[in-house]
Amino acid sequence: MTGKVASPKMPVSVEAAAQLGEGGLRRLVGKFGFSPLGLLVVLLALPFLLTMNDQYWIKTLTTAIMYGTLAMAFDLTSGYIGIVNFGFAAFMGLGAYVTGCLCWHLGWEPWQGLFPAIFAAAVLGLLLGLLTIRLGGIFAACMTWFVAMAMMSVTSNWVSMTRGATGLTIPLLFESAENFPYLLTMIVICLISYLFLSLLVRSKAGLAFQAIGQDQEAAAISGINANYYKILNFTISCAFAGFIGWFYAHYVGVLTPPVLHTRVTVEIMVISYIGGRGSLWGGLLAALIIIPSMEQVKSIQALSNLMELRLLLYGLLMILVMIYYPGGISELVKSILKKTGLGKWSAAS
Amino acid sequence: MDVLREIWDFMSTAILRGGMYSLMAVGLALVFGVMNIANFAHGEFYMLGAYFGYFILTATNKLGLPQFVPPILCILGAGLGVAVVAGVIERTSFRALRKRSKGQWLMNTFLLTLGISVILQNGARLVWGGKYRGVTRMWKGDALNSLLNFGLPPDRLVAFLIAVLCIGGFVLFLNKTSTGRAIRAVSQDEVGASLVGVNLGFIHTLVFSLSGLLAGIAGASLLSVTPASAFMGTMPLYKSWFVLILVGMGSIGGSIVGGLILGILEAFATTYLSQFLGSGSQDFICLAVIITILLIKPNGIFGKAVKSAVE
Repeated sequence: MTGKVASPKMPVSVEAAAQLGEGGLRRLVGKFGFSPLGLLVVLLALPFLLTMNDQYWIKTLTTAIMYGTLAMAFDLTSGYIGIVNFGFAAFMGLGAYVTGCLCWHLGWEPWQGLFPAIFAAAVLGLLLGLLTIRLGGIFAACMTWFVAMAMMSVTSNWVSMTRGATGLTIPLLFESAENFPYLLTMIVICLISYLFLSLLVRSKAGLAFQAIGQDQEAAAISGINANYYKILNFTISCAFAGFIGWFYAHYVGVLTPPVLHTRVTVEIMVISYIGGRGSLWGGLLAALIIIPSMEQVKSIQALSNLMELRLLLYGLLMILVMIYYPGGISELVKSILKKTGLGKWSAAS
Repeated sequence: MDVLREIWDFMSTAILRGGMYSLMAVGLALVFGVMNIANFAHGEFYMLGAYFGYFILTATNKLGLPQFVPPILCILGAGLGVAVVAGVIERTSFRALRKRSKGQWLMNTFLLTLGISVILQNGARLVWGGKYRGVTRMWKGDALNSLLNFGLPPDRLVAFLIAVLCIGGFVLFLNKTSTGRAIRAVSQDEVGASLVGVNLGFIHTLVFSLSGLLAGIAGASLLSVTPASAFMGTMPLYKSWFVLILVGMGSIGGSIVGGLILGILEAFATTYLSQFLGSGSQDFICLAVIITILLIKPNGIFGKAVKSAVE
């Protein structure tokens, strides 16, 4: 979206004033990876989030933001270079298990495990990227899936290291029993991730990602080293999965092998796709809508045990979005903004 | 004698398992080769086949038919039932996507099949619950019982024979009939095929149904080995994809051989490696093999260049 087309409905004076401050403001805000409108929404939402004191909602929102951040990281590969990381949960689980094992076996503090968790996920991503990405998307999807299955089998069977199905107990990030610090941490992680990812996709590398995603051959002809950028992209996305895995481990406190299950990947993927490909924030928005509403569905007494129903809804939503509205929520929001004349404020410089 | 016995056990396990892997992989390869769809709902066809088979078998067992009729009905009915389901899915989802999709077809269909897989799995779980539904023996009879002396489980042997029959019939169908020729034409060049009067829509539905048919037959004929349950499809799906990558995507002849290779690999892993590597040895060896293949011969053992490697 260029954002340069002013709506005819806008009064002339407002438009002039807007244009006066527009360039400077947008450049300033854009340095932080936000569009003016996006920043406004975040600033409006923050006080609301930070003054929340209902424990149930705090937990739900923490989960929602966590999934949203995962969906953003997932979107970096699927939305920009068109590769589906079908073992995404395993990268997250790897980060979680690395920090968990370090804490359990070596008695490390939670924050000490942060870097190893990110590093492990990134290295695995790099290796898999080197192995499969030159071969095309379906190989990467299958291979990450195979590796995820193998990793799940390892975590179940290597009991001396991971304690298998009994669960690995992990020190929590905070000593207090309050949920609020976790929400705060998650918001910070989410903002850091968004900042990093959105600056990345606006950088030279980001242009390369987009070019590759649209037409790999054309990108290669114009001198872009497609494999290099694809592997870079893949590695970064995996590193973020490890990052969030680290938070997850110290948030939940117990790790069992199903964390790595394909089902988790599917959930992240569905959220990311419903959010819209190649938008980053779409996934976050989708998670903020979907996860609380799914929680509501769960809380209806008659449906309380129906995890299946929830996943079934996920599948159905995904199919409908895939076929009939491939742009997802972000496309919907953009088109509404365009109609109301706010379009140019929603595009970052 | 012990050595001979060991070799015999090893080979029979390998081949009997391998036949079923081939049957699954052939359907997957067909869909990938003709429609360029990476079908991740293939395991769910297997699952549906097992459920349909179970219900038909329990219903027909009560009728007092001759001993061998209920299993035959069960397998045929399951295959046809899944074929219908697969056809309906093709008509309602892939056709709609084909009309709208602008690029990235392979990735879009991959995601679509994932959605279908999630729906079928959880739908089955909702409708049929978490109970495992299986039978202890499908094929009964004295002649079959004597097979046990040779260490051959009768149900597995019959399932293997069914697999051979189905694959043989399927290969004949592809090569000798005009519809089969049309399918091969579409897999080579869609535009060219439609120019000479092949009805693309019909071929697509037919191909998807056929792959469902094969997977459904596989699910029903292994009912006594793997009881029907909602999430049973993941393993066969994993194996079939393994075979496809091993031999090269979309190669039907290759996937027949690939299924047998996988059977041998697995038998090897369980017989000789599990003492060192524990119960994860199968996964381990499969992963090691696939990484080697991808490093040395990324297009698979029998590989031609992959149709859409660029995507």
